[in-house]
Amino acid sequence: MDKKMLRRTRVFFSLVILLFVLLAARLAYLQVIQYEYYWNRAEKNRFRIMPVTAPRGEIFGREGEQLVTNRPGFTVSLVDLGSGYSDETIARLGELLEMSEEEIRERIRSQYYSRYMPIRLKTDVPEETVAIISEKRLELPGVLIEVQPIRNYVLDSFAPHILGYLGSGTAPDWVVERWAEEGYEDYRPGEMVGQSGLERVWEPYLRGQDGGVQVEVNSTGQSIREFERVEPVPGHDIFLTLDIPLQKKMEKTLEETVEYLSTEEGNARAGEAAAVALDPNTGRILAMASIPSYNPNTFRDDIAELQQDNRQPLVNKTIQDHYPVGSVFKMATAIAALQEGEVARSERVTCRGSLTRFNATKSCFRGTVHGPVNIVDAIQRSCNVFFYEMGLRVGIDKLSHYSYEFGFGSPTGLQDVHGERSGIVASREYKDRIYQEQWYPAETMDAAIGQSFQSITPLQLANYTSMLANGGIHYRPYLVEKVINSEGQTVMLAEPEILNEMDVQEAHWNAVQEGMAKAVLPGGTAARLADITVPIAGKTGTAQVTTLDRDIPSHSLFVSYAPVNEPEIALAVFVKHGGTGGVTAAPVAQTILDYYFGAEEEEIEDIDALLEQTEDEEAT
Amino acid sequence: MFDRRLLKNFDYQLLLIMLALCLYGLLVISSATQGLSAADPSAYVRRQAIWMAMGVGGMLLAIGVDYVNYYRWAWYLYFANLLFLSLVLFIGREGGGAYRWLDLGVFDFQPSELAKLIIIITLARVLVDYQDNMNNVVNLLPLLAHVFAPMLLIFLQPDLGTGLVLIVIFFGLLYMGGVPIKYLGLIVGAGLAVFPLLWAQLLSYQKMRLIVFMNPELDPLGYGYQLMQSMIAIGSGGVSGKGLFEGTQARLQFLPEQHTDFIFSVLGEELGLLGGAILLTLYFLLIYRILKIGAFSKDSFGALLCTGVATMITFQVLVNVGMSLGIMPVTGLPLPFMSYGGNSMLLNIISIGVVLNVGMRRHKIQF
Repeated sequence: MDKKMLRRTRVFFSLVILLFVLLAARLAYLQVIQYEYYWNRAEKNRFRIMPVTAPRGEIFGREGEQLVTNRPGFTVSLVDLGSGYSDETIARLGELLEMSEEEIRERIRSQYYSRYMPIRLKTDVPEETVAIISEKRLELPGVLIEVQPIRNYVLDSFAPHILGYLGSGTAPDWVVERWAEEGYEDYRPGEMVGQSGLERVWEPYLRGQDGGVQVEVNSTGQSIREFERVEPVPGHDIFLTLDIPLQKKMEKTLEETVEYLSTEEGNARAGEAAAVALDPNTGRILAMASIPSYNPNTFRDDIAELQQDNRQPLVNKTIQDHYPVGSVFKMATAIAALQEGEVARSERVTCRGSLTRFNATKSCFRGTVHGPVNIVDAIQRSCNVFFYEMGLRVGIDKLSHYSYEFGFGSPTGLQDVHGERSGIVASREYKDRIYQEQWYPAETMDAAIGQSFQSITPLQLANYTSMLANGGIHYRPYLVEKVINSEGQTVMLAEPEILNEMDVQEAHWNAVQEGMAKAVLPGGTAARLADITVPIAGKTGTAQVTTLDRDIPSHSLFVSYAPVNEPEIALAVFVKHGGTGGVTAAPVAQTILDYYFGAEEEEIEDIDALLEQTEDEEAT
Repeated sequence: MFDRRLLKNFDYQLLLIMLALCLYGLLVISSATQGLSAADPSAYVRRQAIWMAMGVGGMLLAIGVDYVNYYRWAWYLYFANLLFLSLVLFIGREGGGAYRWLDLGVFDFQPSELAKLIIIITLARVLVDYQDNMNNVVNLLPLLAHVFAPMLLIFLQPDLGTGLVLIVIFFGLLYMGGVPIKYLGLIVGAGLAVFPLLWAQLLSYQKMRLIVFMNPELDPLGYGYQLMQSMIAIGSGGVSGKGLFEGTQARLQFLPEQHTDFIFSVLGEELGLLGGAILLTLYFLLIYRILKIGAFSKDSFGALLCTGVATMITFQVLVNVGMSLGIMPVTGLPLPFMSYGGNSMLLNIISIGVVLNVGMRRHKIQF
């Protein structure tokens, strides 16, 4: 070999040495200096935490009837395999799940900060779709199918305003922030959370604690084996004060009534109604219905239609709206007049069909002339003239004071569902605040018979009735009797809570109660209730709707409690644009009370049939 | 015919180093292919072992004849090479978008592997023929023409990796063959000048590999993903490795092509820095012995044969290991003696045979 070649061999060999040093240095750099970083990356590759959704707490009636439960459903999720998501997978999934690609991308974006968690795309996916996805598993890398509990409202459109519903959608940041503010920590976007009713207020109790499984996955995201498992803690079960058959009867009666009004009587404005039944000795809500209703099971599909319905099915009319009340207010005026010493029980005021004071002439309903009436007669026959007089004697300030005492003008204190409104008490302050006008004495006459600015929620009305029955005790109304955790321990047991106790003499209550009892007897405004099973006390209300259009039907109201001597139920019925109280609301109350005290067997069977029906639907 | 005296100069060390590399490869392949074939877990190892045995057989044949005969047969080899490379373009079996294999029934023959060794032999002859006229720049033209035809056929397959190996062998041999540095520079300059032209000829996936190599984050799904997963595998192996059969990256199939192109990543993950250092040392010793044989060869043809084989192995180790370590682009070149694959195994062993041949016949007269 010549010298030149030998020299060049040396150069070549030096180059080889250099290259091997380079490779060795790089190898050592990765395996020694960067070791920890890559070791963690490898672990992140192979381990994934799969959340296991805790079953949400169930909701029961007071006799343990199942109202809200969970059933297993398939959830399709997408998981990042460390390399993002392929367009192909997203397109195929969109097709299968009937979601737009944009929707899926939005979900992915919304979970940008917890990328290694599965992103839930759709819950309650039909079995056929799941079968297709399982078959095409290899073409859909990163797609997971989990069995997760799905909320099931056993009786469909039963008491949806009380039970509420869940929602998720793509939760925007501000919603997650709002939940965090309300104390619901670590919610993941897309997670179901109570949006209304008990589901919303009792969310922290119902939710439970999600568990998780640490699994080893391969490069296509398939789970190879399970490592650690943290079992989920199921949410607490809630038992309600609701008398389920009674609630069912109440809803059915109200529905039939508005149906009758609109179809048989051609009353185009009818369609909304509400009723509340309270236990006057505790404040327990026995039944609470708002019509029209909706079905929380299909809520998400129906939402657009529900939002367009001008009868506002989503509004809980028992607490979230308030209405003029008319004559049912008269007992409040009566208590004020008696307690303030402005009238004696025996004093008679002569009704000539109308009363003229302060240049205003106000008449009795349809110009009826009642002649000389005392306070009991005046309630029995709903004499306006007597109460005009009482109003003028008491004065608006005392009248509004007693209104507040009866719980009007502020929420009754129901905390188990959200959104109770205050309503309006007729007062100087109100008129000044809203109209910047002074109070005219003649207006006190209207206020005394409930035809002024008063606006009252059906729950306030029921509470008012309850106070008339129990002698002025305002119990906080409540729906949740007890809360039991998954181990069967009682977490919370409700106790009746007195919010206000009116300082009114027993005799005055008796006088008003006597008037209410007589109102449902022959000679009273609700005499058609005379044949009811138990002795009841009641009062009709016909709230005129003051607009230019005189043909608008009045609101129909009836408040009552029973039995007269030992009241166990106080009931307020409100039928919007239902006509006079005696004709529409009173028969509704009669049907409900008859059912409550008679408890016809057929109605209970009716519910059983309904239960069977929903089970059948699930089976098919 | 076979002279026992030849054994005196037989380089047993080189043979042992090569056999050690092959066995090391079988060990890592057995780990890398676990679970690939559920019915027969050892299928890959067995097949590779058969190729290794065939390689040793081929090696004995290569040793059997004096390498001077290679010089004589050079032109036959050259045209046989062109024939195989042309055939593959017409009747070759397609795989991954390229035509690289001829289906011979018993096995698939990959002409581009054979082409590397043939080019070494034929180019060595051309260099020896022109040895005394190296200072004439015109003599570069036959050299260029010589490699142009096979290289074109290989790029047509397309097989970018093998094409690159040929270019490097070309420069390696020209350098050792005594071509003045300035002429080599001239060729490099000309190559750079036509580079944009070549770039336009590259297929999109080949361009992608090069672009992604520059910036792996650009393509987290494809080649960038492969590079990243390979680095994760090696880095997570640490000094002592996770243990044979225990690599999570390998076992859970995060590594792409783990028994072929990315076999070094499996080794790095499971056997760690120690295992990697042992491998690099074996390669280094192998190349050292090849160059040493070349330096002591009786003629420049033998020296050039050794240089060619050393260049080929060095370049493939550099590119393959460099790729696994994330400092070289993904080219799909197998790691000599280690990667699963029959043609590569066979040809590499025969190449060592050629070197051994040069070594044992280093003295013109044996006493």
